Amino acid sequence: MGYTIAEKILARVSEKGDVRAGTEILAKPDFVIAYDFPGYTDVIFKQMEEDFGIDKVAEPERYALFIDHMVPATTTQEEELHQLTRDWGAKNKVPVYERKGIGHQVAAELGYATPGAFVVHFDGHISQLGTFGTLAIGVRRHLLEAFVKERIKFKVPETTRIDLTGTLQPGVTARDVFHHIVRVIGPRGCRGHVLELGGNTIDNMSLEGRQSITCLAMFTGAITAIINPDERALSYIKERARIDIEPLFSDSDATYASRHEIDVSALEPIVVVPPSPADTRNLSEVVGTEVQVGYLGSCASGRVEDLELAADVLEGHKIKNGFQLNVIPTSQEIMEIAAKKGIITRLINAGAFISSSSCDYCFGRMGVMRAGQRAVSTGTLNVRGRMGSPDSEIYIVNAAAVAAAAIEGRITDPRPYLKG
Amino acid sequence: MALENLRGRVAWIFEDEDFDVDQIVGVKNIKIKDPAELGKLALRAEDPEFAAKVKPGDLLVGNQNFGYGHPHYPPMIGMRHLGIAGVLAESFSPGYWRGEIAMGFPQAACPGITKAVSRWDEIEIDWAANEVQNHTTNIILPIEPLSDGDRLMLEAGGLVGYLHARDKQETTT
Repeated sequence: MGYTIAEKILARVSEKGDVRAGTEILAKPDFVIAYDFPGYTDVIFKQMEEDFGIDKVAEPERYALFIDHMVPATTTQEEELHQLTRDWGAKNKVPVYERKGIGHQVAAELGYATPGAFVVHFDGHISQLGTFGTLAIGVRRHLLEAFVKERIKFKVPETTRIDLTGTLQPGVTARDVFHHIVRVIGPRGCRGHVLELGGNTIDNMSLEGRQSITCLAMFTGAITAIINPDERALSYIKERARIDIEPLFSDSDATYASRHEIDVSALEPIVVVPPSPADTRNLSEVVGTEVQVGYLGSCASGRVEDLELAADVLEGHKIKNGFQLNVIPTSQEIMEIAAKKGIITRLINAGAFISSSSCDYCFGRMGVMRAGQRAVSTGTLNVRGRMGSPDSEIYIVNAAAVAAAAIEGRITDPRPYLKG
Repeated sequence: MALENLRGRVAWIFEDEDFDVDQIVGVKNIKIKDPAELGKLALRAEDPEFAAKVKPGDLLVGNQNFGYGHPHYPPMIGMRHLGIAGVLAESFSPGYWRGEIAMGFPQAACPGITKAVSRWDEIEIDWAANEVQNHTTNIILPIEPLSDGDRLMLEAGGLVGYLHARDKQETTT
């Protein structure tokens, strides 16, 4: 029997040459990535020195730090945390990327996503590097292990394969596809597994769309998601990759824990109803619900095609008086492309508030809601209190539906706005 | 060093599947760092006397995919402050599981556990036999064996202890 791409990648970075799901290995990550956050990076730096007597990491080129949360700083403590990170990076010769955008996206732009590579982070949304055939896993505080040891203990996971088939209707996006996957397989349908995606829907999907889906893998219970690299992924990384390794691919006779085929050709825009990230429904069920806030951004959504889709919906319209539409492109590179294409101007003309890239709108540090407010959001999560008061609500929808709600002040089907 | 059996009462049964642990202290309290304060808040909305009723060694029982969502550490920091010694669940969300094992907090997946216990039953996790015994009803259920890595981490009391143990092993072999 053949191997999955995840097994091949872990075999490549393990001390054993041949591994199968279930094998426990010591794996050497190609890259160790983190953003600075209290309780994670500051604790790791301290533990390295105080508990292990290590003042510098051995191979600094394997590490990357991002400053993307608490940007810009609003308290002296936040700026002190950032300075600690900058100082640690300078001492260790580890690059610190600041004000370039959300790290999970910028990591791809900067070539940390290489087909066949193994990457660890403490945050699970790093799974989106799977778009480029990279096995990228969020290990929470276990990340300390990757700072004090060359290799981390890791159990090779099983893989669930999902093939997506069919052409998406206009106004239906990758974001809808992801939440539909959760609706079909359930919030634990892929529990503890790698979610391997394929099928003609994925083949025909942009890299941005694939990043949107792989980013959210955790909400199926998966530890990450991965797509076998195709020409589109390989050409993106060609000029960017930091390491030169042979791309790896699943064998046609690889062993999967389970396989699903999901036809998305009849899929409608969806909504994830608060307060559960698993409560996916057709958007039509909540049409008419009054909303006061819109958030278009995050590491899952907020890329060029999301911004363009929102601009298309808003074309010829103004957002409703009093509605707060916050648009935060996922990275500065994306902001620049969107500006050159005129998308930013179109959004501003419609009444959107545009901010430079930051994680802060997604977790309720900026654009905070008071009790009783409701948002439509492309953020990662809709749990109670995620964007402010525990008595505010978040409806997760695609970029087009955020824009349509901004025009009407209530949740609405965006598709009629795209027919003009 | 073998893991010691955990014997205690079932202090709470989380009946919801896909339970988000942040709800234990409430999302608005998730930035609190003081373990004593977190302990006082634990499950207060569900049982105002919860903190007073818990005895050291008591255990929690969860349903399928316990820890789903974006788990944070404070809820279980509060629970440990009260003396909660571990969690048994039908199954665990992988991110939550990994995070708490790194804290040295014992947990075991035990299919059928929610139907085999009632609140305040006296139960015992036997790591060597890979089973849970309900001493109140005399029901015995198997638990899923820990991986080597997770077992070593719990034996060492968490991630830092485990890495020190690996240091010793790597210098002697």
